[in-house]
Amino acid sequence: MSVSAVFVLDLKGKVLICRNYKGDVDMAEIDHFLPLLMTEEEEGVTCPIMMHGNVHFLWIKHTNLYLVATTNKNSNASLVYAFLYKLVEVFTEYFTELEEESIQDNFVVVYELLDELMDFGFPQTTDSKILQEYITQEGAKLEVAKTKVPTTVTNAVSWRSEGIKYKKNEVFIDVIESINLLVNANGSVMSSDIVGTVKLKTMLSGMPELRLGLNDRALFALTGRDKGKTVSMEDVKFHQCVRLSRFESDRTISFIPPDGESELMSYRINTHVKPLIWIESVIEKFSHSRVEIMVKAKGQFKKQSVANNVEVRVPVPSDADSPKFKTSTGHAKYVPEKNLAVWTIKSFPGGKEFLMRASFGLPSVENDEMEGKPPITVNFEIPYFTVSGIQVRYMKIIEKSGYQALPWVRYITQSGDYQLRSNF
Amino acid sequence: MPYLGGEETVRELRRALSNPHIQTDHLRYRNTIHRVIRLMSQGVDVSGLFSEMVKACATGDIVQKKLVYVFLCSYASVNPELSLLVINTLRKDCSDPNPMVRSLALRNMCNLRLPGLCEYVEQPLTAGLKDKAACVRRVAVLGWAKIHALLPNTEIDAAVVNELYGLLRDPDPVVMVNCLRALEEILEEEGGVAINKPIAHHLLNRLKECDVWGQSEVLSVLQRYRPRSEDELFDILSLLDPALLSHHVPIMAATLRLFLSLCSMLPAVCVSALERARGPLLAAAGSSSRELRYAALCHIQLLLRSEPGLMGEHYKRFYCGYAEPPYIKQSKIQVLVELVNDDNVAVVLDELKGYCTDVNTETSQAAINAIGSIGRSYDDRCLGILTGLLELKQEHITSAVLQTLRDLVWVSPQYGDAVCSALEKWEDQLQDTQGRGALLWLLGVYGDRLSGAPYILEDFIDGVRSEVSAEVKTELLTATLRVFLSRPAETQDMMGRLLQHCIEEELDMCVRDQALLYYRLLHCGIEDVRRVLQCGRRSDLSLGPLIGRPPEPISQWASIFNTLEPLMLGASSLNMLSFPCTRVWFLKTLCLFVVIFQAYVMCPVPRCSPESLQVALQLVNIQTLAFTAPNKLPWKISILFLSRNQKMFGQKCILRIKINQQPEHPHCCKTNTHILITPC
Repeated sequence: MSVSAVFVLDLKGKVLICRNYKGDVDMAEIDHFLPLLMTEEEEGVTCPIMMHGNVHFLWIKHTNLYLVATTNKNSNASLVYAFLYKLVEVFTEYFTELEEESIQDNFVVVYELLDELMDFGFPQTTDSKILQEYITQEGAKLEVAKTKVPTTVTNAVSWRSEGIKYKKNEVFIDVIESINLLVNANGSVMSSDIVGTVKLKTMLSGMPELRLGLNDRALFALTGRDKGKTVSMEDVKFHQCVRLSRFESDRTISFIPPDGESELMSYRINTHVKPLIWIESVIEKFSHSRVEIMVKAKGQFKKQSVANNVEVRVPVPSDADSPKFKTSTGHAKYVPEKNLAVWTIKSFPGGKEFLMRASFGLPSVENDEMEGKPPITVNFEIPYFTVSGIQVRYMKIIEKSGYQALPWVRYITQSGDYQLRSNF
Repeated sequence: MPYLGGEETVRELRRALSNPHIQTDHLRYRNTIHRVIRLMSQGVDVSGLFSEMVKACATGDIVQKKLVYVFLCSYASVNPELSLLVINTLRKDCSDPNPMVRSLALRNMCNLRLPGLCEYVEQPLTAGLKDKAACVRRVAVLGWAKIHALLPNTEIDAAVVNELYGLLRDPDPVVMVNCLRALEEILEEEGGVAINKPIAHHLLNRLKECDVWGQSEVLSVLQRYRPRSEDELFDILSLLDPALLSHHVPIMAATLRLFLSLCSMLPAVCVSALERARGPLLAAAGSSSRELRYAALCHIQLLLRSEPGLMGEHYKRFYCGYAEPPYIKQSKIQVLVELVNDDNVAVVLDELKGYCTDVNTETSQAAINAIGSIGRSYDDRCLGILTGLLELKQEHITSAVLQTLRDLVWVSPQYGDAVCSALEKWEDQLQDTQGRGALLWLLGVYGDRLSGAPYILEDFIDGVRSEVSAEVKTELLTATLRVFLSRPAETQDMMGRLLQHCIEEELDMCVRDQALLYYRLLHCGIEDVRRVLQCGRRSDLSLGPLIGRPPEPISQWASIFNTLEPLMLGASSLNMLSFPCTRVWFLKTLCLFVVIFQAYVMCPVPRCSPESLQVALQLVNIQTLAFTAPNKLPWKISILFLSRNQKMFGQKCILRIKINQQPEHPHCCKTNTHILITPC
């Protein structure tokens, strides 16, 4: 892939920190980055790859930072983006929030990390779990920094170091499914899919061997043995710790878990699920006077379940004023800076139906700028429930010392990219 | 503040660094170093502290060491003599019992990037290759690549190269991959690492041990391997097959690329590999990071060039989300156009219609363009949508629709009537140059059917003094002349005015030359004018293959798959939207020009100098390189076309046009014209 240099810039294009890996591209080239980006933005044709002379800039934006990689070779672009995102991931694990301030406050660690992550334009150690073993923020304090080589750098199990100890041995398993939905203006579902993840928080001593059993239905779908009745999972990803050969031969998910939080697997199910929260909306615009909005929300899931923190975001014209709301439950408010009316319902039981009416005034002098037709978006969270029906059957924990450990399981279904196009 | 107080601060820091009290106090010493590095990051020139910092690197504290090394590597090129002092400390560190210190010293020794110091570095590097700790070996291996980059003219010792080949079998996977990377760089002139059967098989077997980056690297190096027999090839393919479904997009893409290059002789295998990888590719196109999504979309566009049917049934995956950035929307629209078939055309058109009113002008124009190109091969519903959009009276939409209609009727003349009826009630004003150009072209071509055409033209001619764009003016000249042919009574007077203005007052040479050309052409008689101008209105079937793209062989793009290039192609096709001429439009203008050119050069009276025509051709960035003498058959011309738009034919291309017969009729002139395009 060969990256010549990596830069972290603030929004004004000032270099906060940089690292020249190859020395084959002039570091001053970065001065062309922001002007190029500005001209592209003016023309409305921004693009994540830009060229100046024979230097390519590949960039991503994260909060108030630009992360830019330069290269003058025809290198593998998606790998470079993947590396930049890896940088974001590692920095975020170190500083919890990656932004201008955290870079400036931790520049020592950033330099150390940039040194370890890449050498001569090639990614080296990029696993943040391993990096955290020998690059610590405490290093900045005076206690003589850890000078021992971490075992993991040469270890067979690169994601877990030996000699971890906990008083109480526990594993927390979170099964989280988020639903992406796109409904067009006449109410038909254009596309819907489920993106699921199984997250682990392991607090186990030693080198435990874990085995996870999921319910058969999901597994059959994975093996493709039962294509007729079950939903087919696409794009199943496992953490590197899972022994894929075991999985391929007898479908057991067995692994030595990384310590602390990690994502064990993720999957995607491309199927038509019934939209869990259905929205019907009537938006009437009387130009020069007012907008009338009527939104009906219906919970199309089991009666026993309850959706929490439901938020229906209805777009309104940018020049609307004097909002009036009437809701059958929850409360609604106007968020002028985002041009939204947000209707919040703390708890929304399945099978119920609620109504919100809103009216806004419009100025008599019309705004002639064209506005897009933003969709209605919905956020929600339904605990103790998975749409796909995936379930954890068992979790076996085996360790040489033979301690007893407790697995805890939690299910959550939440909204992902949940959009319903409106017709106003 | 650091910019202003720069010098003062540097002086103060120097005092602090050389203060023995601070030097003995660990904490204060380290804090001072922190301040130096912070200033360096902020862009202050602290290179003056080099000699003080050199002393600071003799410490047991690793973090301090790292920071000092960062400093030294940044400023070594400014202070090559002082850097010699560092070498001693670094070499001492290279024999430190702690492997961390050893690898750190080794890495930074090479990062100083001073060719003069290389002789001191080679010995520790050679020792590093044999080090017990993997992390030292990793650094040492890449160190040799760095030395090679510093001294590109001196050969790396053959013994070292051999040692590196030996380290391909190192137990540590990262060392192995670094070895590959280093050898690739060192042996670049010889074509990279020599991949023979044992090495290839060794790499394949150890593929699973590497991380994502390593695997992609190994897979891309393996492309050069040519299996000896078909059996071996298929063994390799079946070993790699699961990786085609890998959840890591980079690995999937690298494997796919390897498949395509290994099976370049077996197209059927390539196609089935593409089909296998379809799922992961679609997943990548829905990835949560927009950059990766964009990269995937660009690559899908590449695949569709050869396998248009590959994604057919998954067209819904390419619907645009509201919040997606314009560049993703535009590439999705381009993909959607490719995926249209009999079953989904209605649904896709409906969806595209929604994008036409997008807030982003470029996106809405891309959508309108897309509807136009679907219209070339599918039903006339497209025309309904396009003419419906005219009623929105949004300037940028109207302009894009006119341009699309212009390109559409040129390819599919059967839509002429519908376009005429849409333009019949025309009364808008357009500001946009390209839109006006398109409107004028349509008026010229359908002047006989549009009752209002002369009156709209009259408005333009009355305002010609305030018209700034040369493009619109030349278009106006052609349109007026064409309308004149069909409705001389209404047009003659204003045409006279226009020609007079353009010849006598116009400052732009191209416009003036064009006007002169038409003026003299009119002298040749009305039949000649008709012959020259009216042939442009009919579409030319012989250009069909250039407009509709036949599926390309996979080998055409396999070499650029999974690199930067598809993204650059994608980017330039985005810019293409703002470029005045589309591919069709370009070809059309070109044909017209050539016919005029040729008719003119061969026209017996009056003889006009070919030079003035060359000037006219330069208007569309065309330079005439050579042409045969007038009145010779076959008549040939070579043209250099400089394009700002790389997607069309590459940046520069030479067109060779050959006309076999004297053009008796416009029709036979077109069929006897051969166009050969060679990018250069």
